Amino acid sequence: MIQMFHVTKAYPGDPPVLVDINLDIDKGEFVFLTGPSGAGKSTLLKLMFLAERPTRGQVLLAGRNVARLRESGIPYLRRNIGVVFQDFKLLPTRTVAENVGFTLDVLGTPRDEVRDRSLKMLRRVGLEHKADVSPVKLSGGEQQRVSLARALVNDPALLLADEPTGNLDPALTVEIMDLLTDVNARGTTVVVATHDATLIERYQKRTLRLEKGTMVADERGAKAARLMSQTA
Amino acid sequence: MSATSKLAYFVRTAVGSIVRSPFVHVIAVASLSLSLLGFGVARLARAQLDALVDSLGGEVELTVYLAGDAPAEQVAELERALTQRTGGEVRRVSPAEALGRLATQLGEDGKGLTELSDNPLPWSLEVRLPKAARDPAALADLATRTRALPFVTGVDYGEEALARLTMIARALEIASLIVFSLVFLTAVIVVSATLQLAIFARREEIEIQKLVGATDRFVRVPFLLEGLLQGLLAAALALLAVLGLVTWLESGDGGLLAFTRLDGRLLVDWARLSAELVGIGCLLGLLGSFIAVRRFLRV
Repeated sequence: MIQMFHVTKAYPGDPPVLVDINLDIDKGEFVFLTGPSGAGKSTLLKLMFLAERPTRGQVLLAGRNVARLRESGIPYLRRNIGVVFQDFKLLPTRTVAENVGFTLDVLGTPRDEVRDRSLKMLRRVGLEHKADVSPVKLSGGEQQRVSLARALVNDPALLLADEPTGNLDPALTVEIMDLLTDVNARGTTVVVATHDATLIERYQKRTLRLEKGTMVADERGAKAARLMSQTA
Repeated sequence: MSATSKLAYFVRTAVGSIVRSPFVHVIAVASLSLSLLGFGVARLARAQLDALVDSLGGEVELTVYLAGDAPAEQVAELERALTQRTGGEVRRVSPAEALGRLATQLGEDGKGLTELSDNPLPWSLEVRLPKAARDPAALADLATRTRALPFVTGVDYGEEALARLTMIARALEIASLIVFSLVFLTAVIVVSATLQLAIFARREEIEIQKLVGATDRFVRVPFLLEGLLQGLLAAALALLAVLGLVTWLESGDGGLLAFTRLDGRLLVDWARLSAELVGIGCLLGLLGSFIAVRRFLRV
């Protein structure tokens, strides 16, 4: 699903954010991306949904070389990728349901269907009763769930989530993680950036660890959990 | 993916955006309609000045004085040639008619003229010059050639007056070109700056649209629609303002501006002015949006 070969990302005048990253995430995998703040997790995610292009190296998405992709082809690739942003990126001028439906609007989905599917998705994240309020009236955790609903409403092949449980209490964290594993069980590849060690310990999934822009570990299951508990 | 639901979405988005942030749109429409009003007023003024120049030049005439023994055949040929060259109407004026006119012009002082036993005035040909034939250089050439004919004693066509009139017309042409360019330039700058402000307020929306897979065209269309709506609205407002101005001037309360009136009425080609204002309004709105939204499409 996602392959990176010797990927380096640097912004002019600054030390590189990512250095010589190699990774291969298969279709249907569930992967944690972890590491301290500023390690390059968000930048790595941005490379995955084409918000950034690598300075050096190759990125392959669903077998397609991003470097060879024309600017006009990016939107069509993105339609298969759901993204949960760390800062949610919800529109304060739209209702919660409209925010969720935004993804479907872009595809020209009829209005009624947009509404139906948005409400169904909101039910899954437990926010159906908040469908017609502005996101600014929601708590951080609720906004995060709206952002997740928007990312999932289109049944994407790939879900990228940047700290999706960062603002949630333990009970809600479990709910959201259950939702993510459920989505993953249905075939969606899931990449979750988090620095929450307990999540990694509990779910025992493949874990990629970044430090200062370099990939320092790529462990699966119990080993990853053990590593996490040592470094935490 | 249906075209109708997309179109419905575009219209909904455009109208929704105007409803949600009315202030920015009011500013955009106001600046647009002010620019269009400037254009409309310039157009109006130009039409009045053109009419004024036309009315001043209405009497331009070429008079050819004939010798007493001018052969009828050659005079007839000259008449034909003059008609052909100028496109104007040629009239033969007899000495008696000319004397009568002169007497009328002089009024009391002219009374003695009618008592003259011998009419000193010659036969003449009068050519009323249509607008197209009022080119000073061409007329000077025509006069010189006509003067050279043996049976012509003189040619008169108000040389100086015509030259002055032509100069005024040319000055007007240049002045109105400058005014138009200034108004148009100002409009483009003001409109695109205002629209950029409006779009800046929605850069987040554009960013998210692009991140969930919207094409540039999809993002752009609602903004273009908004620009179009603003242009239409601004054109309507500008037209109303011009109408108000014209009514005010024609009502006689126009004060200082009253001198622009020709016999109480202003010359306005409403159909043309409406078409121009709507056309330019839409163009400015579309162009302004297009330029303004470009900056924010890179996500």
